[in-house]
Amino acid sequence: MIDAYGDPGIPDTRGGWRYLWWLALRQPGRSLAGAVFGSAWLVLMAAQPYLLSRAVDDGLVPGRLGVLAAWTGAMFAAGVGCAWLSIMRHRTMTRVRMDANFRTVKLVVEHAARLGAALPRRVGAGEVVTVGVGDVQTLAQALTVMGPGVGSVVVYSVVAAQLLTISGPVAAVVLLGVPVIALLTGPLTRRLQGTETEYRERQGILTARIGDLAGGLRVLGGLGGKSLFADAFARDSGRLREQGYRVGAVTSWVQALGLGLPTLFLAAVTWLAARLAAQGAITVGELVSVYGYAAVLIGPVAFFVEMNYDLNRAVVAARRVVALLRLEPEPDDGTLTAPGHPAELHDPASGVRVAPGRLTALVAARSADTTAVVDRLGRYGPTDALWGGVRLDAVPLAEVRERVLVADNEADLFAGPLLETVSAGRLADEAAVRRAVRAAVAEDVVRGLPDGLDTVVSGQGRSLSGGQRQRVRLARALLADPEVLLAVEPTSALDAHTESAVAHRLREAREGRTTLVTSTSPLLLDVADTVLFLVDGKVAASGPHRLLLDREKGYRALVARDLGDGEVSR
Amino acid sequence: MTTDTGALPVADRRTVRRAAARLVRADGRAFAAALALNALAAGAGIVGPWLVGRIVDEVRAGRGAAAVDRLALWILLCALAQLVLARWARYVAHRFGERTLARVRETFVERLLGLPASVVERAGTGDLTARGTADVATVGTTLRDIGPELLVYAVQALFVLGAVFALSPWLGLFGLLGLTPVWLAVRWYLRRARDAYLAEGAATSAVAEIVAATAAGARTVEAFRLRKARTAASREALEVSRRSRYRTLGLRTVFFPSVEISYTIPVAGVLLVGGWLHGRGLIGLGAVVAGALYMRQFTDPLDMVLMRLEQLQSSGASFARVEGIAEAPRAPVDPARNPADDRIEVRGVRYAYERGGEVLRGVDLTVRPGERLAVVGASGAGKTTLSRLLAGIDAPASGSVTVGGVPVAELEPARLRRQVVLVTQEHHVFLGSVRDNLLIAEPGATDEELWRALVAVGADGWVRELPEGLDTGLGQGGRVTDGSQAQQLALARVVLADPHTLILDEATALLDPATARHTERGLAAVLAGRTVIAIAHRLHTAHDADRVAVMEDGLVTELGTHDELVAADGAYAALWRTWHGDGGTV
Repeated sequence: MIDAYGDPGIPDTRGGWRYLWWLALRQPGRSLAGAVFGSAWLVLMAAQPYLLSRAVDDGLVPGRLGVLAAWTGAMFAAGVGCAWLSIMRHRTMTRVRMDANFRTVKLVVEHAARLGAALPRRVGAGEVVTVGVGDVQTLAQALTVMGPGVGSVVVYSVVAAQLLTISGPVAAVVLLGVPVIALLTGPLTRRLQGTETEYRERQGILTARIGDLAGGLRVLGGLGGKSLFADAFARDSGRLREQGYRVGAVTSWVQALGLGLPTLFLAAVTWLAARLAAQGAITVGELVSVYGYAAVLIGPVAFFVEMNYDLNRAVVAARRVVALLRLEPEPDDGTLTAPGHPAELHDPASGVRVAPGRLTALVAARSADTTAVVDRLGRYGPTDALWGGVRLDAVPLAEVRERVLVADNEADLFAGPLLETVSAGRLADEAAVRRAVRAAVAEDVVRGLPDGLDTVVSGQGRSLSGGQRQRVRLARALLADPEVLLAVEPTSALDAHTESAVAHRLREAREGRTTLVTSTSPLLLDVADTVLFLVDGKVAASGPHRLLLDREKGYRALVARDLGDGEVSR
Repeated sequence: MTTDTGALPVADRRTVRRAAARLVRADGRAFAAALALNALAAGAGIVGPWLVGRIVDEVRAGRGAAAVDRLALWILLCALAQLVLARWARYVAHRFGERTLARVRETFVERLLGLPASVVERAGTGDLTARGTADVATVGTTLRDIGPELLVYAVQALFVLGAVFALSPWLGLFGLLGLTPVWLAVRWYLRRARDAYLAEGAATSAVAEIVAATAAGARTVEAFRLRKARTAASREALEVSRRSRYRTLGLRTVFFPSVEISYTIPVAGVLLVGGWLHGRGLIGLGAVVAGALYMRQFTDPLDMVLMRLEQLQSSGASFARVEGIAEAPRAPVDPARNPADDRIEVRGVRYAYERGGEVLRGVDLTVRPGERLAVVGASGAGKTTLSRLLAGIDAPASGSVTVGGVPVAELEPARLRRQVVLVTQEHHVFLGSVRDNLLIAEPGATDEELWRALVAVGADGWVRELPEGLDTGLGQGGRVTDGSQAQQLALARVVLADPHTLILDEATALLDPATARHTERGLAAVLAGRTVIAIAHRLHTAHDADRVAVMEDGLVTELGTHDELVAADGAYAALWRTWHGDGGTV
C-alpha cells in the first residue's frame, strides 16, 4: 500500500545512483515482486511460439485433432497466464513508481519548507519547480528497470536456450542480430527527437503568440489593429507548416526504418530457418517457432536499450534532487536570551528605532531602502540589529520568528480555503478571523466569494484582484498577532477610500503592540505615532507626519507627489 | 448554450463531426493518397506470413532449397517494399496533418480576433488562452502524430483480417467472432477513462504546484512558520493523487487483461477450426499456419489502435472546445454609423453581472467636451463598470451610453479609437517588434509618426538604444520591457489613436514612486487637449479636476466642482478632510 502520509525516511544523498538505489531499497518486496512478475511474464510470452510449433508439429501436421486441441488449450492457458502476469507486473511497477515519486515529493517539500528564507538565496525557485514537475516523474519512471528491465535479461537467456536446442547457426544469428537491430533503431528514434526540437520550439512560439493574443485582446478591442495580428499570425503559421514538411521528410524515414529494419531482419531469419527446414535440419514446427522467437525478442531487447537511456536521464534528475536535499539551513547558533518583554528594535546601519507599543512608519523614495531596513530588523540575511540591546542574530532564530513577523508586500498566498490562508496554518476561531478580516477592510472580499471564508482561493490568490490580495495578506498578518509586526507597503494597491479605512483599523488592531509600516501614502503616515524619513538609507528626519510635512522639504516633495502634482496636472 | 453564464460555448458532437469532415474534404486528395499508400504498405506487410505458409507447404512437399530460396527472397523484397511504401505513406499523412493543423490554428485566431470585447471579458483570458494553447496543441498532436499512426495501424489491421478471410472465409469469421470481447472491453474502458485520467492529471499538477509554491514562497513559509502546514498540504495533495492513480490503475486492471486474453481467442479458434477443416481436406496446411500467424500479427496493430483511442477521445474534446468559439456571439458592430460630435451622454444606465446584484442602478451623466471629470467612490461603487461602459467594452443592460448620438459599444474598433480610449495600468506588450506594438493603434502610421508618439511619452530614449530600434522584438525571446516602459508603449498607442476622450483608470497604483515619475510626463502629454474622465483612486486627481462625480452603491450621488462638493459637506468632503489633513500644505 502506498502511503501519502507516511514518513519518507532519511535519503541517501551521497550521489545520484545512490539515491536511485535508495528509492529501490525502500521497497524491497515490491521491487523483487516486480522483477519476478516481469521475468515470468516475458518468459511465458516467449513460450507461445513453442506451444504454437508443438500444435503444428504434433497436432496439425499428423492430423490428430485431440492433440491439436490440447496444445491449443495450453496456448490459451498460457495466454491467460500471460495476461495475469502482465497486469500483476504493471500493478506492482505502478506502485513502485508511485512510491518513488511520493517519497521524493515529500522529501523535497519538507526540505524546502525547512530551508525557508534561505532557499531563494541558494537556488532559483525554477530549479525546485523542475524537480517537482519533471524530475520526480523521470526518477520514478527509471525504477521500471527493476521489473521489465530484469525481465528482458531473463527472457533473452531463456529464448537463447530454446534456440540453441533447435539450431546453432539460427541461434547465433537471432541472439546477435536482435541486439544489433535494437542498437540501430534506438539512436534513430532519439535522432527523431532531435530533429523535432526546432519544430517544437517554433511551435512553442506560435502557441505563445495565441496566448499573447488572448491576453491582449482587450487592448485590440479598444484600438483595432486586429488584421495586423491576423496577417502576422498567418505568416508565422505558414512558416511553421513549411518547417513541419521538412521535419516530416526526415521523421517519416526514421519511423519507417524503426519498424522496417526488424521486419527485414525477421525476413532474413525466416530465410535461414526455411533453408534448414528444406534440408531437413529442423522441423516445420521449429521453423514456425524460430519466426515467433525472433519476433518475441525484438520488444524486450529494444526496451532494454531504451531503459539505459532512461536510467541515464534519471541519474541526472536524481543528482538535482540530491543537490537540493544537501542544502543546509543557515546556521542558527544564537544562545543569548531575548528581552523578556516588548523592547525596542534598533537598526544601527540606518539609525531606525522601532519603539515598543507604538506605530512607526518608514518613508523612503526608493522602496529598496525600506525593504533593506525591514530585512535587517526581521533578521532575513545578515544583520547587526539590536533587540532591547541584544544582538538579533545572537538570539535563537525560532524565538525571533515567533515574536517578530515581517509581512511582505508580495508575500505568497498558498492555494486553499480562504479561512486556511488567513489563519496561516494555526487553529483560529472564526470570530478572531472575522475580526482580522474586518481590521484589514477585507469584508467585501469575503462577501464577494461564493462560499465566503470556505471558498478555495487559487495559488498566489490569482482569482483575486491586486487590492483584494493585499488585504488578505494584511488580515493574515493581523490575525497572527505578533509582538512586533513589520509590514511592507501594506496599502499600496488600495484606493483612497479603502486605504483610509485600513489605516484607521490597522491602528486600532495594533493598539499597544509594536508595529512598523513602510509607505509613502499620507493616509497611512497620518495615523502613525512617529514617521521616520530615510534619505540614502539613513534616517534624515523623524516626527509626526504633519510636522514633517511642514518642516521637511524632501519629505513634502515625496509624499505630496501623491497629494499635489498628480496625473491630472495642468 | 452556456453563454449567459459568461463561459465560452463548446461545440456539440454533430458540429465537431461536421467540422472534422470539412477539414478532411478541404484536403481530400492528400487524405486519399495517404490512405492508398498505407493500404499498399499494409498489403506488402501481409504477404510475409502467407509466404511462410507457402514455404511450409513446399518443405512438406520436399521441394528442396531452390524453391524455398525463391519464396524467401520474396519475403525479403516484400519487407523492403513495405518499408519504402510506409515511408511515403507517413510522409503524405504528415503533410496532410501539418496543413490541417495550420488551418485549425489560423481559423482559431481569426475567430478569436472577431470576438467582441464583452465576450472576452466575461469568458476570462484563462479559458481563451487554454483553448488557444493547450487545446490547439492537443488537436495538433492528434493531427501530426496520432492521426497518421491510427491510419497506418487501422489499415494494417483491416488488411490482416482481410487476408485471413481470403485464406478461408470460415477462418476469418471465427477470427472476427473471437474479437467481440475486445470490443466490449474497449467500450467499457473508454466510458470511464477520460474523466479518470483528467482527474489524475489534475492531481499531479496540484502536487507540482505545491512543490513550486513552497519553494517560491519559502520566505513566507518561514515568516509565518508554515512548515507543518506546507507538509500537511503536500500530504493531502499526495493522498488525492494516490486515489486518482489507483482509480486509473483499477480501470487498467480490468481493461488490459480482458484485451490480452481476448487476443489469444482468435489464434486458438483459427488453429482448431483450421485443424478440423484441414482434417477434412478442405484447406491446406499452409493456409492454417498462415492464418494462425496472421491472427498473432493482427494483435500488434490492434493494440496500437486501442492505445491511441483514448488520446483520440481526449483530443476530440479539445477540438470541441476549439470549434466552440465559432458559436460565441458576435459583436453588434455597425460600420455605417458615425458619431455626430464629441459629446458623451450616459442615460438611465443599469448594469448587472451574472453573479451578484446590480452594479449600476440608473446612472445619468453628461460629459462636457474638453473637461476633466474625476469619478470617485469606494471599491464596489461601480466606478470601474462605468468606465467599461464608457469605453464601449460592454453595453448597458438598459439605458444608453452614446458618443455623438451613437451607442459606444456598437462602434467598430477603428472608429472607436478616434472617439474614446480606455487607459489602464494593465498594459499588454504584444510579442512582436516595437513597431508592431504601436501600429495596432494606427496601422497606416509612418515611422516619423511613430517616433513623434514615442517622443511625446518620453520613450524615444530607450527605444533608440535598442539594437534594432523600432524593429527590436519584445517579450519572450526578445527584449523584456519593465513596467514603466510597457506603460509608455501603451501611452504611445493612445497618442497614435488620437481619441478626443480618454478614460483613465488608476486601478492599481504604481508600487514604486520612482517608476511613477517616469511615466508621469508621458501621461501629461497624452492628456493634453482631450476630454478626460478619470476613475480616481487618489484624491489629488479629484482635487485637480474640473468636476467630480461621487459614486455610491451604483448611483452618482454628488456631482460638481471640488470646491462645491467640499462646501456641500457630503461624503466627498468627509473623505477629503481625512486625506488632506486639516490645514496641511498642498
